[in-house]
Amino acid sequence: MEFEGPSQSFVDEIIIAENVHKWFGEFEALRGVDLRVKPGEVIVILGPSGSGKSTFIRCLNRLEEHQEGRIIMDGIELSHDIRNIQEVRREVGMVFQQFNLFPHLTVLENITLAPINVRKWTRDHAEELAMKWLTRVGIPEQAHKYPGQLSGGQQQRVAMARTLTMQPKILLFDEPTSALDPEMIKEVLDVMRDLARSGYTIIAVTHEMGFAREVADRIIFMDAGKIVEENTPENFYNNPKEERTKLFLNQILQH
Amino acid sequence: MTTNEELTTPKAIGRGFNWQLFLQDNLTGSWMQTVTVLLLAIITGSYVYGKYEELPIVTAVVVALWILGIVSIIVSEIFHKPTAVSRWLKQNLLTSFANSLLTLFVVLVLVSAVNGIWQWSYVNANFNPAETAPEFRSANGATWGVLWGARKLLMTGWLEPIHSWRVWLGLGFILIMWLFTYITSRPALKEKLRVARMVLNGFWLLSPVVLYILLAGISEGAYNVTGTITGVAVLGAIYALLWSQKVIPFSWGSIIGTVVAWPLLYTIWWFIGNSGQFPPIDPDKWGGLLLTLIIASSVIVLAFPLGMILALARRSEVFGVPAWLIWPVAVAATLWGFTTTPELLATSRNLVEQIMSFWPVIILAIAYMIHRVFNGNIVAGVGTTFIELIRSVPLITLLFMGIVMAPFFSGEGVSIPKPWLVIVGYTLFSSAYMAEAIRGGLQAIPKGQYEASDALGFNGSQKMRFIILPQALRIVIPAIVGQFIGAFKSSSLVSIVGLFDFLGINRSIVSNPAWLGLRLELYVFMAIIYFTGSFLMSSYSRKLEVQLGLGDR
Ligand SMILES: Nc1ncnc2c1ncn2[C@@H]1O[C@H](COP(=O)(O)OP(=O)(O)OP(=O)(O)O)[C@@H](O)[C@H]1O
Ligand SMILES: [Mg+2]
Repeated sequence: MEFEGPSQSFVDEIIIAENVHKWFGEFEALRGVDLRVKPGEVIVILGPSGSGKSTFIRCLNRLEEHQEGRIIMDGIELSHDIRNIQEVRREVGMVFQQFNLFPHLTVLENITLAPINVRKWTRDHAEELAMKWLTRVGIPEQAHKYPGQLSGGQQQRVAMARTLTMQPKILLFDEPTSALDPEMIKEVLDVMRDLARSGYTIIAVTHEMGFAREVADRIIFMDAGKIVEENTPENFYNNPKEERTKLFLNQILQH
Repeated sequence: MTTNEELTTPKAIGRGFNWQLFLQDNLTGSWMQTVTVLLLAIITGSYVYGKYEELPIVTAVVVALWILGIVSIIVSEIFHKPTAVSRWLKQNLLTSFANSLLTLFVVLVLVSAVNGIWQWSYVNANFNPAETAPEFRSANGATWGVLWGARKLLMTGWLEPIHSWRVWLGLGFILIMWLFTYITSRPALKEKLRVARMVLNGFWLLSPVVLYILLAGISEGAYNVTGTITGVAVLGAIYALLWSQKVIPFSWGSIIGTVVAWPLLYTIWWFIGNSGQFPPIDPDKWGGLLLTLIIASSVIVLAFPLGMILALARRSEVFGVPAWLIWPVAVAATLWGFTTTPELLATSRNLVEQIMSFWPVIILAIAYMIHRVFNGNIVAGVGTTFIELIRSVPLITLLFMGIVMAPFFSGEGVSIPKPWLVIVGYTLFSSAYMAEAIRGGLQAIPKGQYEASDALGFNGSQKMRFIILPQALRIVIPAIVGQFIGAFKSSSLVSIVGLFDFLGINRSIVSNPAWLGLRLELYVFMAIIYFTGSFLMSSYSRKLEVQLGLGDR
């Protein structure tokens, strides 16, 4: 099942993060992160708990504010200008670990609310596209249910459809499968694989090794607020460069 | 695990009736139990005896039924054939000795209470409105005639009878609106009657104006051209602001509608006024149920949006005015303020006035608060201060202040009718509590809801309108309806500041020679009305919760 991908981007590097620093009060969560991503690249971020993975990708759509360095998304620099932030958020979709669906709205309303009010589409157009995406993630028959009536895997797929209906160019995934039961993980990973292959620029925080090996162009390993190693999946798992990486891999592979 | 089962299952459950166990359970189990049961038996026995003297037949029937119940249980236990009735009796009324005695006691109390009410309100009662004077009254019966005789006072107070039709019209208007709303919100018709529902909502929005015209009236006067132009300018400015903030999209239809709306409505208003059909009514003449309903519904309608604004203000994170701006402005204002001090000092008559002439230090204190406590967030500062101030003052004080202090603010010769002042005071009071309830709802919304809305690109007001408020308000429906019911019932407090609302009108009714002292009848009637109103509101709130709770399934 092949669908159309994201709309074309006209920049060489769709994500540019330069020397990004972020403090939570006294605590420095990001200590100079550099990352450049080309359109269509799929990046997987790994690292121990508390290493700043979530903080970093949340800086990319300004859910967190960085205090030093520059972040340029699809040619727009994230600054205090609220209009820039709004514009970036229209191009960048995010999928959360806890789904964060709106419980008081039906699945279809969840998906079409932003397209109608942010993108200013007509209801018909928004619903048409919403149904298309629901079909693509495999649950068109759930359109008129409420989130509370769906399984975790179904909810996460609705969350993806909600993000994708906004037609973003960049997708950020923050551990989208770690709140799911094992049998539901696969259905979500299948969608993610599908998206990775159809040309979206993706940054995913995930510990799913199969996914990383199969579709990632690069794997980034973070520790203590810094990028420690950047490598191809093959090399990352088979002969990592850094001691810290080896230690981490040993720990997660033991399980 | 057979050993475990053997241990936990009691062995001695035979089919036969065990007298020893039975007595132990009911009477001889403990010292306290024996005494309690004996005491209960003595009390119940003497009460039954007393009642038997008073109401022989009723008491005999109750006791006979009680004995019959016990016998039926005993029989069914002995023959192991419990019937539905005996099982129910055993489980609910006659569980043990003590419970059986209590049942008898309580049933007798209830029966005699019902009997007493029946005797007073019907058997011995006098229903003739013409026979309310003391010589017609029976010693232990109600004199219901007062309700009919005093109906005008009870319902509308001192409103002149020539205006009564306006009240009826207003009532009819509201009832018809309700009826239509009810019909059009039936699930089967909801989609088909979309347009009708919109028209109806428009009428609901207009209904305060309609009711104002009916109940307060409009005075005649010249056409106010300046006011009209100002109105158009204000509406246009609001439109421009909303449009520039991207809250509403631009369209020629909507802008023409906005500009024309004000002159159109004002012209209609002016024509109605000059037609002389609805001459002004002095609000101080309102009274009785009419006044109670006007106060309660105004407070409800005004306090809810005000409370919402206050709650949002208190939680807002905008407008961080930096310290370098706060302090220079504050110091400048203080210095300017001190220029008045020499004059005030010269004219002050006592120590208090001398101290008060140094009032500008308050500006510094406020600046310190805004800087330190609220981090420069003036919106949150104002909201929080207002809420806390209002909540730390009793309602009565607010009402008194409103009425006593209004003349100082309203200028020479203008006297604002008391009901308006009371409505303002009560609305401020109610909105502070409403704000806190709504804030509670806002705090219950998980952080993820805000983040998901941000990530999808909603702006601040959209996020509130579509995501946060619908969920928060649903959580606080019980608290808000509690406030509404409170506003309805506690509006009787206004009788303390000299208004004659539904409860307060009592005083003037019972001082009429024909109805002297007929308090009980009036209070019973009022209790019924208050109960009905409150009950309707709370059952509507439960219905609303179920309707809005769909998403939680
Ligand atoms: N809002 C916050 N306030 C204060 N400290 C925070 C906040 N959010 C994160 N941190 C701290 O920043 C550090 C990085 O957190 P982050 O959530 O980015 O880690 P992570 O790599 O995503 O970890 P995990 O794998 O557990 O999700 C942690 O030490 C965390 O305690
Ligand atoms: Mg994380």
